[in-house]
Amino acid sequence: MTGKDLLQFIVAGLSSGALYALLALGFTIVYASTGVINFAQGEFYMLGGMLGVLAFDSLGIPLVFAALLAILATTAVGVLFELLAIRPRKDGDPLALIIITVGGSILIQSLTRHAVGGEELATLPSFSPGPSIGIAGVTIVRQSLWIWGITAVAVVGLTLLYRRTRFGKAMRACSIDRDGARLVGIDTARVVTASFALAAALGAIAGVVISPTVPPVFYSGASIGLKGFAAAILGGLGNPVAAVAGGLTLGLLENIASGFISSTFKDGIALVVLLGVLFVRPQGLFGGRSREKV
Amino acid sequence: MRVRVGVAAFVAASVLAATVGGCSATGDSQKDAYKIGAVVSLSGTYAGLGDPEKKAIEMEVARVNADGGVNGRDIEVIFLDDATDEAQAQGAAEQLVLEDEVLSLIGASGTGQSMAMRTVAQEYDVPQVSMAGGTVITQEFDPLVFQTPWSNTLVVPYVLKSIRDAGFEKVGLMTDGGGYGKDGRGVILNSAPAAGVAIVADEVFNPGDTDMTTQLTKIRSSGAEVLLMWTAGREASTVVKSLDQLGMDIPVYGGPGIARKEFIEGAGASADGVRFAAGKILVPSAYGEGTDAFGIATDFVSRYEESYGQSPDIFAGHAYDAFNLIVEAMKRLPEEFSPADLRDEIEKTSGFVGVGGTFTFSETDHNGIAAQDLVMYEIVNGEWKLAE
Repeated sequence: MTGKDLLQFIVAGLSSGALYALLALGFTIVYASTGVINFAQGEFYMLGGMLGVLAFDSLGIPLVFAALLAILATTAVGVLFELLAIRPRKDGDPLALIIITVGGSILIQSLTRHAVGGEELATLPSFSPGPSIGIAGVTIVRQSLWIWGITAVAVVGLTLLYRRTRFGKAMRACSIDRDGARLVGIDTARVVTASFALAAALGAIAGVVISPTVPPVFYSGASIGLKGFAAAILGGLGNPVAAVAGGLTLGLLENIASGFISSTFKDGIALVVLLGVLFVRPQGLFGGRSREKV
Repeated sequence: MRVRVGVAAFVAASVLAATVGGCSATGDSQKDAYKIGAVVSLSGTYAGLGDPEKKAIEMEVARVNADGGVNGRDIEVIFLDDATDEAQAQGAAEQLVLEDEVLSLIGASGTGQSMAMRTVAQEYDVPQVSMAGGTVITQEFDPLVFQTPWSNTLVVPYVLKSIRDAGFEKVGLMTDGGGYGKDGRGVILNSAPAAGVAIVADEVFNPGDTDMTTQLTKIRSSGAEVLLMWTAGREASTVVKSLDQLGMDIPVYGGPGIARKEFIEGAGASADGVRFAAGKILVPSAYGEGTDAFGIATDFVSRYEESYGQSPDIFAGHAYDAFNLIVEAMKRLPEEFSPADLRDEIEKTSGFVGVGGTFTFSETDHNGIAAQDLVMYEIVNGEWKLAE
């Protein structure tokens, strides 16, 4: 094991970590507006990849537009899911909502399986084709640059949205005290819908951007959803920066552990982290003492 | 529970009596069909396996019945979906045995599900023919359980020999953490010394992993001359793509788990040059033109294409073999027989030419095929070709 190998593990960790981060952002946003974990988050990732490949391969739409279409369509699914399944549950009982998201996840998965079939689809072409980039003996895959870039844009964009826009302020107010927010005239129902739209878009982005390496399939949402959930808990379900930090940390932990101990334990790491954080530091590694969520 | 079973039995008996009564009025040609119960995965992770399996069996049922059935009776196959879940596979098998009183079970699509069904086969003394590739299914021997795919104990030594014959000694191993990969990994680690190769790296990936570079980096550092990949999952595409992206230029070998069109579509150009062992169905000329096996395989392929508009994959072939092994055994029996008689007769199968190979079962071998039924393939320009 050389230093070069260690650097390669770090690159791998940051690249899968960025993917977890996008999922974790989705969990965090929905948690902020509703106070529940959306277990259908992984399905948005799955839909992004599936729809992207279908649009590109079956409809022959150029790559950029296929990717955008997949993200838009998944966002629409997210909005529909909120309007049809979450909003009718007016009292906002967290347990009921969580079970609704679990049901929604199974529904989306089964419908996709029946509509598209049980086998994985083909992969998309690389967003910027060409050989990998070698720096000091460490290989960086071109698609990883896309993943990092998109994650960076997402976290900066969300931070700006929260800090600088009226709508972002409404979302923050909603996360601090929903009843209070409603009393001062904020349309909390609209905030919840918007948070599902954002979460679905982020999930779909992750799904599309990884599909040049990983062939999408109808059941792919579950395992990545668990990783994103672990990352979100690790980050403390707080602000976007913490979610991204949680994702990257999880990715690094996984890859360094599989590099130096054994790859058998790679998935176990996510669960150990999840349980460890829940027991020892329920507010997350990066969650402050403040109760503010978002 | 006992009461419920009793009620179910009573209902079943009444229904049966009514049907029998109806039959005697219309004559002998309307005798009860022989029932076979099939448990396949039509939803869940293995839905892609269960679907072609069901199609192949349905096609064969129609063919056998159109030819006059067995002993003048029709064959009826009752399908149940196990949703790629072990408990559901067991429940489905129980339902087929108790309520439908099937003479034999086919299934399941997956190894774990097959093992769950096995407990039912044992409890009620009904023969079971599995379409899953896990070694454990027939290696942990049970007199009632048969298996049609090429098991890992058969394929692994064949692949290792082919690696050794190509002049390589140091093998980097990459297996998936699921049932098939784990099973293969165990057999590979056991068979390597005898085959004269050294496993210099032993890496595992999990279903759903999006990045393989850490494992491949370790394989690169280990000095491996070839990568041996044992998986039936979609991650195979990610592995060979990452290998290319890392600029690692070593030959890749694998087993029947990657004999899937989806692997080629997923991996694109990175699949080129990958070598793997499987039965001869992918390129039927491997059977030798003019042989019985060639005739059966090309007939199967053309009828399947005609019925469903697509080529059968290896899973359809495993289902064809499972169904026909049972039917051929039934044909050798007198008109009335019990599941136990059927088991004995399946075990007597000798020289049955199927799609996966020529099956000869014995009291100790319920897989029944041999290394000569295997062949090495190489993927060339996205097509399966016989490797030299």
